[in-house]
Amino acid sequence: MILSENALIERLKESIIAFDEDEAIEVAKEIVEADLDILKVIQKGISAGANIVSDKFENEEYFLPELMLAGETMEAASKVLMDGMSKEKKDEMEAKRVGTAITATVFGDIHDIGKNILSMLLTVNGFTVIDLGRGIDSMEIVQRAREYKADIIALSALMTTTMPSQKEVIEILESMKTRDEFIVMVGGGSTSLVWADEIGADGWAEIAPKAVELAKELIEKRRRD
Amino acid sequence: MVPPWRLNQLLERVETGPICTERDFDLRILNKKLRSLIKEYDIKFDREEIVPSDDSLADDLWKAAWDLYLDVGTFCVTNHRRVLFEESEIKEAMRFSSNEITVGTGMDARKMGTRKIEDAKTPHCILSPDITCDEEIFMPYTIAYLQEPLADGVCAPILDTIEGIPIKSGSPMEVKGSIAHAMMFREAARRVGRPGINLQSVGTAESDAAQIAVSNQEWGARTTDTRFVPTLSELKIDYSLLNKMVHYHNYGCIPGTLVGPLYGGYCGGAEGTAIVGIASHIMALMVNQTFWTLYFPIHFRYSVNTSRELLWVLSTTYQALSRNSPFISLSGAFTDAGPCTPMVLHEAAAHGLVSTVSGANLWEIATAQNKHKNRATPVEARLACEVGYGSVYEKIKREDANELVKGLLAKYEDKLGKAPLGKMFQECYDLKTITPTKEHNDLYESVKKELGDMGVPSI
Repeated sequence: MILSENALIERLKESIIAFDEDEAIEVAKEIVEADLDILKVIQKGISAGANIVSDKFENEEYFLPELMLAGETMEAASKVLMDGMSKEKKDEMEAKRVGTAITATVFGDIHDIGKNILSMLLTVNGFTVIDLGRGIDSMEIVQRAREYKADIIALSALMTTTMPSQKEVIEILESMKTRDEFIVMVGGGSTSLVWADEIGADGWAEIAPKAVELAKELIEKRRRD
Repeated sequence: MVPPWRLNQLLERVETGPICTERDFDLRILNKKLRSLIKEYDIKFDREEIVPSDDSLADDLWKAAWDLYLDVGTFCVTNHRRVLFEESEIKEAMRFSSNEITVGTGMDARKMGTRKIEDAKTPHCILSPDITCDEEIFMPYTIAYLQEPLADGVCAPILDTIEGIPIKSGSPMEVKGSIAHAMMFREAARRVGRPGINLQSVGTAESDAAQIAVSNQEWGARTTDTRFVPTLSELKIDYSLLNKMVHYHNYGCIPGTLVGPLYGGYCGGAEGTAIVGIASHIMALMVNQTFWTLYFPIHFRYSVNTSRELLWVLSTTYQALSRNSPFISLSGAFTDAGPCTPMVLHEAAAHGLVSTVSGANLWEIATAQNKHKNRATPVEARLACEVGYGSVYEKIKREDANELVKGLLAKYEDKLGKAPLGKMFQECYDLKTITPTKEHNDLYESVKKELGDMGVPSI
């Protein structure tokens, strides 16, 4: 049993690393049929695979497409596993999610690849991510963050002339007296730590992998406080 | 000038092409085909052959890019449709596309044309800081670039405030700031005695509305000036960008395409970035309907193109274009180091050398990862162009350039990602006399001597 359990988990992990969605779904079904401990499978199979994908991205062995395909593979396998779980287990797993993040490239800005990389890295690191896309109106970002009860609002702006929209999102949150409900992170080409401090953001990172670490730290800190 | 292809047919096709999601376009159409073409043509990045001398590699890259574009086309993000072309249509547009255009007017008019690999023709040079600046120094900053002798055209720094009020993209302040930018730019050109020089674009005007607002023969962007229709990465367009294109053709100015494929993004690695970069030039002709391009592939992690991988992408792209197309293109530099550092000058020299020998014209130079206000000066741009000219006069071959660029990389490659930020324009120039400070000039002179000792040509 242990041998077969380990083999199934290993197959699931490998399917994520190879972004083989069909294989991942097949193995996930076998895991459900074998009635394995799903939480353990998610930790040792899906999360472990995601970590390797993250490392490969860091080493420039994988790039954005591989990251996205691995993310899709994880989602597909997770859905099969979740469907086969009891409500108690689902609740237990939900409690283990790192958090929910809204990502968006702000109004007036059409550059979204950096934001897409961040969205995928957050996904493979256990966040639930709602990616709103590019050129998003500040009010819409706030409304969607409230709708999804997001922990984090991550705002990308490549150009100096679109950075004011990052500030605008914070101003809207303040005017609605909901600023404290969200961690606001900013990033993108022209932004800096000085800018983040100036507009009252909670965090800034130069590149997406650092932003993921920062997001985890900020959530951890918030939960501690 | 007649638009490169049939304008009405293009705009109709934008509205009738097959529908797909953007994610499907990125992953299951573009990236999937790209992967198969890299395998089919056996394209491999060689870390030791930064400037390859193998013509068959250039031709295979061209064929792969041709196949890619025919298969994938362009994705319009506004209406989620693909714009596809027949092979005969692209060939028709290429047949009638001009391999030389005139920019600027009067005594300041200059030719901008196609270049061949190891061409005996010097590169057309546009000088640009590519960065935002404090409003108060816009005039001296712009004049500093305009007075550079090798500048065939200039692109001014970008304003992010006007009369102290922040310029927010898409807002009325953007239109106001862009008009002010255009007026001051024109005035600066008159003051340096180059009233007809090609004033490239109005960089403050990001939106279509702002670009349309600055077209004015008297005080703004003239019909003899060049303008931009950017692409979205990768192989994408939207209505706002097409609005600019339609306006430019109606106004009669000289549109060019911004092509900036992202290494590490949907292109994947160096091989994919080069193929997408070349395919984007076909898109520039067919969709953006432009007569020239500014090509600046950049690294996803640190926004530079002076790394080994990106210099290879630049070299191979230009070799492929030079051997197989009539496209006019300028190679844009993005360095890691900032002004008044030896590293930025080494990066500038590498970019100028590799680009010119491989068949490019030059657009110099965005420094300090193109993200720090006021942090670029004409001195590093001048050096890159001087090296470009030098490589022509010295008849540098690709194999020689390859050895020389490896020598240059040895000086800065290990510092990429942690390069010195350098100084701001106002720390490098005397703002009254608009001349480089002694420190800035001395550094330039000493690095030029060092380059000479290394065998890197310059004028």
